[in-house]
Amino acid sequence: MWAQLFEQLINGLVQGGIYALIAVGYTMVYGIIQLINFAHGEIYMFGAYFGLILITVFHIPFWFALPLAMVLCALLGMLIDYVAYRPLRNAPRLSALITAIGISLALQNIARIIWSARPKNYPPDELPSLFVSGISMTGEVINAIPLPGGGTLPYRDVFILLIAVVLMILLNLLIYYTRIGKAMRACAQNATAANLMGINANRVIIATFAIGSALGAVAGVMVGLSENVTPNMGYYKGVAAFAAAVLGGIGSVTGAIVGGLLIGIAEAFGADLHSGYRIAFAYIIMILVILIRPTGLFGKATSKRA
Amino acid sequence: MKDKLTPRNIILCVVICSLPWFLFGIDEISSLLKQYKISFGWPGGDYVLRIIVRACLYMLLAIGLNIVCGFTGLLDLGYVVFYLIGGYTAGILMALLGVHYWIALPLAMAHASAWGLLRGIPTLRLTGDYFAIVTFGFAELFVRIVKNEDWLTGGDPNGLLLGIPAPRIPFTEFSFNDNWHNYYHIIILLALVIFVTYRLQNSRVGRAWVAIREDEQAAESMGINVGRYKSLAFAVSAAIGGIGGAFIAQFQSTISASLFEFWESIFILCMVVLGGMGSIRGAMLGAVILGSLGEILRLALNNYPKFAGSRYLIFGLILVLLMRFRPSGLMYRKK
Repeated sequence: MWAQLFEQLINGLVQGGIYALIAVGYTMVYGIIQLINFAHGEIYMFGAYFGLILITVFHIPFWFALPLAMVLCALLGMLIDYVAYRPLRNAPRLSALITAIGISLALQNIARIIWSARPKNYPPDELPSLFVSGISMTGEVINAIPLPGGGTLPYRDVFILLIAVVLMILLNLLIYYTRIGKAMRACAQNATAANLMGINANRVIIATFAIGSALGAVAGVMVGLSENVTPNMGYYKGVAAFAAAVLGGIGSVTGAIVGGLLIGIAEAFGADLHSGYRIAFAYIIMILVILIRPTGLFGKATSKRA
Repeated sequence: MKDKLTPRNIILCVVICSLPWFLFGIDEISSLLKQYKISFGWPGGDYVLRIIVRACLYMLLAIGLNIVCGFTGLLDLGYVVFYLIGGYTAGILMALLGVHYWIALPLAMAHASAWGLLRGIPTLRLTGDYFAIVTFGFAELFVRIVKNEDWLTGGDPNGLLLGIPAPRIPFTEFSFNDNWHNYYHIIILLALVIFVTYRLQNSRVGRAWVAIREDEQAAESMGINVGRYKSLAFAVSAAIGGIGGAFIAQFQSTISASLFEFWESIFILCMVVLGGMGSIRGAMLGAVILGSLGEILRLALNNYPKFAGSRYLIFGLILVLLMRFRPSGLMYRKK
């Protein structure tokens, strides 16, 4: 009983790490331009596909494919901002939101045209042997830590959790100890005032998109290690990650991390109760948070943001 | 536009009602020409009639969504939930409990409307993005419920509900099992909905909605009960969605959860945005264009199986380009 709960907790943490990586992308963009970037889930999906293509078509080793996928996704995020969102900077917020939905719809179907709707896998023989875990013919556990109670914790999951933690620490360092991070915080507080102080807001925004998208790409590749890659993967995980961002308080990076972990754990335990409602728990949490405490756990109480 | 029985409007009604007969004529001409080995790729009147019925249904839904999105200015990303509730209420009542369609239709409407109010009351104070997200989550929850609770929907997985009977006129043997009957059926429903929404738009209620859209605080300070008028908008909009759901249930005779996915909401929203938010004629125009465009693309893309699913790509691009170059839609109602 306790062993099973412990296993669910570990699973939840691993899922949560991935949600946190995606949620940071939502929350950073929202913090600066108050836009729910619906296309972010699709960027994450493209990250998974970029990783897959780099590994299977170009036979690039995993350790180089991961940063390359990050760069490609950062470029994609910047392109989306440049083409779709920048012209609407001064338009009503509703227009930008509808544009984001349109971009998301378009990207999802572009992926469907290019890679077809068939689920794809990262081929195990192209991955570092560290990530290929299982049980050998002799009943020996390979590349996994045995847990009390008979379960196993694959090295792959340890790696996912580890990389999520490392990236979150790096992100926090970036936000609090670099020039661009300072500029981001300034823009989030008051974009007009930041502009008057000589900060190029457009450059900050595009940097935000690049960072968020690169983190989304990492999440995509990590998910690709253990799950199928499909064109609508971004839709499901994207919504859960958005719920995480809302739970933590949208606009707050710390909130996104904590929210991601909480949503991951809630989902893991929820799936134990009823697997059909797995994703529904994220929705319920999201709705309740918006209704009861719209600023989330870590959000600052702002004046009314329409 | 004044909603009077002017000669122009009467002529319009006559044209709309006789439209299918033209299709029938083209069918005849097409088969006549085929004898002389000439064919112009006419897919058949019955097929086209089904497309027209579907386009009319989308008009109805777009008008319903327009009440919340266009009149009160709140972005509803989960309108399809009322379509779902209407569809399943009517479907379950008719297929599993044997209730007559003419009783199931108002019940579906009332049920959807009740959920519209239930969703509306806690979200009254939300605006903009947060309202949109709650509506989205709410709709997704209902899709999950329908997918999982198969004791409610007749036992088949994925919310599949089969064998919804065609409506019958009471005390006669006449039942609506022909596309023609369905055409007139949806035209009458649509006419009623258009009439009601026009009357609402040009009344105290409609003016209050627009006032709320333009500036909620100013509206409140002018003595408009914002909560009451918003709730009314939610209820009316949801009721129209319920009518659409009841219609699709009997029209298709089967419904399943996949009919009511998130993208369907976006599809309807796309119609409202294309036509111009806040305009009834715009919503109808958008529904006709997109509702038939979907079918035309399906026909045109049939030869390219790789692109068969790319209809939504075009809808996405339409949304993006419209927001960029004509954010007020094709037909904007001037103030």
